[in-house]
Amino acid sequence: MARTLLFLALFALASIGWAESPITLGASVQLTGPVANTGRYYKDAYEFAIDRVNAAGGVKVGGTSRKLALKLLDNQSDVNLSVRQYVQLLSEDKVDLLLGPFASNFVLADSAISEKNQVPMVQGGGASDQIYSRGYRYIFGTLPPASNYFGTTIEALSKLSPKPAKVALLYADDAFDVAVAKGAREQLVQAGFNTVVDERYTSNTSDFTSLLSRIKSGNVDVVLVAGHETEALNFIRQAKSLGASPKLYSFTVGVPSADFRQALGADANFAAGMTAWLPSKSLKDPWFGDAEQFAKAYQAKFGYEPDYHAASGVATVEALVKAIEAANSVDPRKVRDALAHVNFASVYGQVAFGPTGQISLPQTMIQVQNGKVVAIYGANGALGKLLYPMPAWDKR
Amino acid sequence: MLLAQVLLNGLLLGGLYALMALGLALVWGVLNIVNLSHGAFIMLGAYATYFLFTQAHLDPFLALPFAALALFALGYAVQRGILNLVIRGPMFNTLLITFGLEVVITFLAQLFFSADFRTINPAYAGTHFDLGGLTVPQVQLMAFAIAIGLTLGLWAFLLHSRPGRSIRAVSQNLLAAQLYGIEPRRIYAVTFGLGTALAGVAGGLYGTVSQINPYIGTALTAKSFVIAIIGGLDNPLGVIVGGLFLGVAESLTALYIGPTYTDVASFGILVLVLIVKPNGLLGRTA
Repeated sequence: MARTLLFLALFALASIGWAESPITLGASVQLTGPVANTGRYYKDAYEFAIDRVNAAGGVKVGGTSRKLALKLLDNQSDVNLSVRQYVQLLSEDKVDLLLGPFASNFVLADSAISEKNQVPMVQGGGASDQIYSRGYRYIFGTLPPASNYFGTTIEALSKLSPKPAKVALLYADDAFDVAVAKGAREQLVQAGFNTVVDERYTSNTSDFTSLLSRIKSGNVDVVLVAGHETEALNFIRQAKSLGASPKLYSFTVGVPSADFRQALGADANFAAGMTAWLPSKSLKDPWFGDAEQFAKAYQAKFGYEPDYHAASGVATVEALVKAIEAANSVDPRKVRDALAHVNFASVYGQVAFGPTGQISLPQTMIQVQNGKVVAIYGANGALGKLLYPMPAWDKR
Repeated sequence: MLLAQVLLNGLLLGGLYALMALGLALVWGVLNIVNLSHGAFIMLGAYATYFLFTQAHLDPFLALPFAALALFALGYAVQRGILNLVIRGPMFNTLLITFGLEVVITFLAQLFFSADFRTINPAYAGTHFDLGGLTVPQVQLMAFAIAIGLTLGLWAFLLHSRPGRSIRAVSQNLLAAQLYGIEPRRIYAVTFGLGTALAGVAGGLYGTVSQINPYIGTALTAKSFVIAIIGGLDNPLGVIVGGLFLGVAESLTALYIGPTYTDVASFGILVLVLIVKPNGLLGRTA
């Protein structure tokens, strides 16, 4: 009798536990290793978004409210480890749904795990078109396609008069940057630009002096660089030390982040770039109010300005919440089908996924002016004044 | 003109390369330890200079001696406390220990300094002057001069000073050196300290021309390793030759073949040197 009672009691406890057990989102992110700098943005974004969702009562599913929990692993900036960790998240930790890592090459590898296990992964860190060209059904992404990163920049450039005569396109040899360069190359041809330098370089190269000397002696007007933040820093520092001063240079990454401007100080000025997100009041959000409030709260909590990585990371959590509520279930397949149809306004912008699973958002061309990021050109035309040509280094 | 400019870029880069490799070659030659944590010490030197510059507002070039001193003390302690325990063991043990040190130092650096990118950016960083149509970057030139000066200084120190001769004696014939009253344990620690001090200076200079994060070490160790082999371990002058050679080879490769092939070039040269002149370009022929 006592044993039966005990059993019943345990059963009752367990069922209470089940009813209130949180929905666990699993992710493997670069917390250490060479890309830990950007990986951290995703950790902070995931935790921030999950805290907000929980504070607002959690996720409504099956007539009750369930909290969200995060199971976060550190992949040490190692793709192979990251793949193993996603296997572990699904097989051992039994997480319900997946959030993504940072960077296209990681997402490319990790999405094979989500696809195989038929558990949706919503990721905000990989933009390469390659991720979505494989017919995968369980991968969704909140970064717009890499092939269009330079789209608004090239459009803005073609409106300049006189039009820049010579363009150089430099890109690192990884999935994201190759996709960016492929798209930019076509757009440059369509816009009638003369691309005089088109070079691929090794990721993590620290020496750009040969390329810069070519750019300088060839009087290149505009340099487009698809690479990583460390390369952008080295490129700008070495451009200064060699007195290489094209009329404009633009970088796919780095420019929007506070860290980039802090590392370069005044030398960051005039660097152009792009972002899919700016903290504007017009972006309304059910959990954060609007993007401006979000940016303030984020800065207060983490001590640095959020850039598009953080907003994109928050959007992935929100997309999962919306999809779970729409599906009224945490069953991975049902959530997947609901994800294909989500369409909501968020702190990051309107979130809706195309047939391949990728969001479609315009990039806004930006430029650092007096240490501040200024929006220059968006989907609907000019937003600010582009400082062009950049003054020579000795005239600043 | 472009060729001349790229050659100049390569030479200046090579000077810094040589300084990076100098400490590794010294420790390798004398202690027979391939210090896989060498790059991590370069990274620490870079941070030391960075903090002296940003916190104590010391000019980065004036901060270099302090960074060197701090790194000397650290290297001395690491050798006495850790490496000395396995110095007579097989080479594999020292490889394992220095590899472990590299991991520990790197992760401690991330813990304390964060993974944010830093640059040592004094007002004059990036200034340059023209010389017959060539652009000469000033900081790189100063870094180059310091690198060459330190290498020559080390060469003279090893050749002519008493501690320098003790170091060479220990590396050439341990027993004979001991019979002459040299205490090898102290000499080993001093040599390792010198190696890390040189790494510290190289790090400070690297930070003024490039960028710093906790993870720059691994690639710098690999580069130093290549240069030490190309230049040979007998003589600091060989390291200069190795560094300059590699800097120029990489710059020309980036110009004529393509920037993705610089690593192919440097490791290709490494293989060639190992086949043709295994003791290094300036080394004794086997």
